[in-house]
Amino acid sequence: MHVRTRTWLSFVVLASALFLLGSRFAVFDPLEGAVQATAQPIESGLRDATRPVADFVNNLTDINRLTNDNRGLREENERLVTELSRLREADRDLQQLEQLINLRGVREGESFTAADVVASEPNNLQDVIAINRGESDGIAEDMIVLTEQGSLVGTVLRVLEHTAWVTVITDQTSAVSAMVQESRVQGVVVGSADGTLTMEFVEETADVKAGDFILTSGVGGRHPAGELIGQVVQVERTAQELFQEVQVQPLADLARLERVIVLDSFLPQEPGAP
Amino acid sequence: MTLALGLFVVLVGAVAQTAILPAFSIFGVQPSLLLVILVAWMAARGRRESLVLIPVAGFVQGLLDSQPLGLAMLAMAPLTVMTDVRERRFVESDLLTAVVLTVLATLVYEGIILLTLAVRGEQLEWLASVLDVLVPTAIANVLLLLPVYGAIRLASVDLRRRSAF
Repeated sequence: MHVRTRTWLSFVVLASALFLLGSRFAVFDPLEGAVQATAQPIESGLRDATRPVADFVNNLTDINRLTNDNRGLREENERLVTELSRLREADRDLQQLEQLINLRGVREGESFTAADVVASEPNNLQDVIAINRGESDGIAEDMIVLTEQGSLVGTVLRVLEHTAWVTVITDQTSAVSAMVQESRVQGVVVGSADGTLTMEFVEETADVKAGDFILTSGVGGRHPAGELIGQVVQVERTAQELFQEVQVQPLADLARLERVIVLDSFLPQEPGAP
Repeated sequence: MTLALGLFVVLVGAVAQTAILPAFSIFGVQPSLLLVILVAWMAARGRRESLVLIPVAGFVQGLLDSQPLGLAMLAMAPLTVMTDVRERRFVESDLLTAVVLTVLATLVYEGIILLTLAVRGEQLEWLASVLDVLVPTAIANVLLLLPVYGAIRLASVDLRRRSAF
């Protein structure tokens, strides 16, 4: 290796290590916050300006109108499905009066903060998005993020002054306690490297079928119960396996989110808390 | 002058990477524009400018992404070693070198991010991460390299001509 290259490599690695050490103690958070706040309008502008081009490139066989129609219908469908699932939840709540106090079937008393999606994590290994609301707007780590129509997007990962990063449920490190709405069978919905959702730990004999809605179960206290995650698209049962493999599709197109809401009235339970 | 242009390109590339690229997916992944710019610059302009641009790109990306500051810089650090490969000119074609270096740089960059996630205790799907993310990203980056390399090469020739007059 060339002497100059070796020296330069040592310098870059050392500088990286110092930055990483500083980040551990949040030394650079104000700088990162300021840069991201400055970049936000530019990023938003660029996203808006290039959205039609992106739509065209990603739908080469389609025309823009159909894409917009499709998006509109999808949002409408998601809103209706969310509403339907809530109504079903409310109905179930009524039937189980003794549990009424503990279940949330309606949105009353909850508060939200709306936010625009301004950026995404550059590497492909993580499904993380940036929103233009941060600490100054009352956003805190672990808060729940939903689509405008009300289905689950993910959890706040990191908060800066005017920006927050959200881990999307399709991220391979994401795990959400979930249940099948119809049969109340419980499991865990996990993301994957290729961005698909799978419900794990569903017993081999459990009643799950394509078309069932999957909701958060609230087990563990990290998510509120009853939030819509998605719909079962495929169930695979293997004779030797203890669990079924349940493929879940999010109702919203999580790769193309433009606006989300942060559920700031729900505070996740700390691990180990009663 | 060209270094200043390079720094500007890196800055624009970093913003475009987080703002625009996620909307343009190839094989289900987004190409790493910043990485491609660095490799293309390395192949078209040589080691001297690239050695400055690599840490700057890592620093700027670190300021704009969700990772701790310094991680992107660390993941891009091996690119400095790759400037040596380019200088040795194993093959005559700069473009071919750039293609090989792009694949290598992508695997190393994403590999370091993957290792960091593992060190942080995240549950990862290793095989799926390599097959569904690293390999498609390397291919997507090679596809993006062609226009980026062409543009940098053209600009480079133009700048050389201007400075000659």
